[in-house]
Amino acid sequence: MFSSPGKPRPHYRVLRDHLQTMTAEMFAERRRVADAAFLYQGITFTVYGQEQGIERIFPFDLVPRIIPRAEWSHIEQGVAQRVQALNLFLHDIYHDQRILREKLIPPELVFSSRHFRREMMGLNVPKDRYVHVVGTDIVRSDDGQYYVLEDNLRSPSGVSYMLENRQVMKRTFADLFGRYDVQPIEHYPQELLNTLRSVAPHEYSDATVVLLTPGIFNSAYFEHTFLARQMGIEIVEGRDLVAHQNKIYMRTTRGLKLVDVIYRRVDDDYLDPLNFRQDSALGVAGLLNAYRAGNVTIANAIGTGVADDKAVYAFTPQMIKFYLGQEPILNNVPTYLGWREKECDHILNNLDKLVVKAVNESGGYGMLVGPHASRDDREKFKEQVRASPRNYIAQPTLALSRHPTLLEDGLSGCHVDLRPYILYGDDVVVVPGGLTRVALRKGSLVVNSSQGGGSKDTWVLRD
Amino acid sequence: MLSRVAESLYWMARYIERAEDLTRLLAVNFNALLDSKPADAKRGWEAVVGINGDDPLFTELHTEANAQSVSRFVFWEPLNSNSVVSCITRARENARGVREQISSEMWEAVNRLYFLVRDTKRANEFSNPIDFFELVRDRAQAYQGITSATMTHGEPYQFIRLGLHLERADKTARILEGKYHYLNLFSKSPAETSLQLIALLRSCAAFEPYRRASGGQLSAEKVVEYLLLDHEFPRGVLFCLNRCQRTLDAIGEDPTVPVRPDSPRRVLGRLNADLEYLDIHDVLGENMDPFLSKFLTRLNSIGDEIARTYFNTSVILPDERPRQQQQQQQ
Repeated sequence: MFSSPGKPRPHYRVLRDHLQTMTAEMFAERRRVADAAFLYQGITFTVYGQEQGIERIFPFDLVPRIIPRAEWSHIEQGVAQRVQALNLFLHDIYHDQRILREKLIPPELVFSSRHFRREMMGLNVPKDRYVHVVGTDIVRSDDGQYYVLEDNLRSPSGVSYMLENRQVMKRTFADLFGRYDVQPIEHYPQELLNTLRSVAPHEYSDATVVLLTPGIFNSAYFEHTFLARQMGIEIVEGRDLVAHQNKIYMRTTRGLKLVDVIYRRVDDDYLDPLNFRQDSALGVAGLLNAYRAGNVTIANAIGTGVADDKAVYAFTPQMIKFYLGQEPILNNVPTYLGWREKECDHILNNLDKLVVKAVNESGGYGMLVGPHASRDDREKFKEQVRASPRNYIAQPTLALSRHPTLLEDGLSGCHVDLRPYILYGDDVVVVPGGLTRVALRKGSLVVNSSQGGGSKDTWVLRD
Repeated sequence: MLSRVAESLYWMARYIERAEDLTRLLAVNFNALLDSKPADAKRGWEAVVGINGDDPLFTELHTEANAQSVSRFVFWEPLNSNSVVSCITRARENARGVREQISSEMWEAVNRLYFLVRDTKRANEFSNPIDFFELVRDRAQAYQGITSATMTHGEPYQFIRLGLHLERADKTARILEGKYHYLNLFSKSPAETSLQLIALLRSCAAFEPYRRASGGQLSAEKVVEYLLLDHEFPRGVLFCLNRCQRTLDAIGEDPTVPVRPDSPRRVLGRLNADLEYLDIHDVLGENMDPFLSKFLTRLNSIGDEIARTYFNTSVILPDERPRQQQQQQQ
């Protein structure tokens, strides 16, 4: 918010002035209204591994994040460029593997990725789209530049909070909202449905799209029902679907109904017990065959996780140059691969300065924030990195931008990141906004909801 | 709509209705059997257990049927899948899986019912059982009202109504059968008979409506006729089955599949017609027992056909349809 102490960036002046007119009581009152709105609507997520009260409200911070139009265009173009390149990369590695043959990416790195699916080799997907919904995590550093932390290409969550945050914000801060020219985001579910329809296996005018959920115990179940309801499509569990003669049907009270597109929120491993994990009760036996036969579209495609492997991420700039012939608009965070011997040594010798991440984990699990970690934890991580270097990467701790946030004892600057949601059907669509996640513990760099983070409304200005 | 969702809604409604009916039965019998001779009271409590056909499990767990053992078994027993506690728990589980389909008021109501039962200590229940049972019954009834007033009356709602009325018809018939079988309703002294008839009517929440409809006459024949065949009494068997028929008409069936001879609408239609034209004198006395047990078997098969038609659709795959049809014709 501030360019230097006490000097707010221009687009934050109105907000700063507004906040200064508010008393602690006024804040408390609006917080009460906001919390009640979330609680009443059951906008919750589930925390795994905790016995009591597994359903929680996602903490919401009342102070919005504001992004001027020019800055947003830069982000928008940057993420669109990345998604196109990543999509071409996925097509390439499941077909000709040009990028591997030209030795721009080491083949072993791709083939050793846990999410590489041989079953996808040679398979053609509608319109060559592999990634239909992407959430790219971006941070702003103290140099004013935006950096991409990672691209979530499997089933990124959180978009329901982006939409709900806006609703609650309009209710609690209507006065402030009216003084900014904020671009709307409410059309996201419609855009999502258009995207899913556009990749139907055949040119139906009324393709049947369903959302596949693991069920009520999944951490993002609220989001699944929210999106299904907003799009007006059925939310189904694996047991509602049946494969027959390479087609997928859902079991309705009027018999079986053909399903064209499955927006799945179930991981690859669990999608089809005949081909992946046999113990999975969440998927549909025979789904992969129906997919291979071209009778159903799965969004995102199977095997997209190979491109959000954190080690493969390091090569995104090369992909952009190779497939698009362009310079990357958004920078990667400098990344050291445990997989490369020299870089691994660097990681091991500088553990106290780096953030180390397991390549296949998400949600803030399997990571070490070196500067904040105890000696013991660092030693433990050292062992793990030595044992399987392929599974680890490290990045310098950026001076993440901080944003005024309302904590128990008043406003203070907390670290934030930003996850815009990118849709890719006929075209790339980026709804102007995203989920700003905020670390609600002072000094913490971890913004994940499963690690006690919260979120704020993100305003993209019209001009 | 999805079969899984329809099935959950249907069973949610059946379980709530079952819980309500059983709780009413307990409350009424606590009241009625206080006035009875000990031997009659014992038979009366045995009849309550027999209504769900759970006698074998009961005799495993208890040596004697009395107020305590029966209410423990019928209301609280977790091993008894038909106990009120089991029914309410399963109703809530079903509701949880389809939260998107039901109103938030319904979810709140079923939760409140669940917590009321879960958090009540049994000791407390025995100090004032009738009040407690009536409270639970009221909550279950309130749930039905909330359902009708807050949920869109579309297809999901129809499945709730279907479960509700099928269960209600079943319970009224079972109470009639139980009372008949255990109490030998028609061979007692007039004073005893009227006591039993009043208990029977109360068990079905029919005492006052019957009084009004019958002009004050209390005879076994008229009571049976009323409970089975009255067109206006909402717990009457024929009344409930007519409602089921209407609901099934509203739901319809898979238009791409030829109507099966044993489709739920047909099976139910035949049962309805048989009841509609029934001469009550044909089934009184010795014919009552076989009539009711045959009736309950037919009612069960309607439930099976509903499941087969709406819930287990995977058995009829698109290109298996012609073959299936042939098999049925053979």
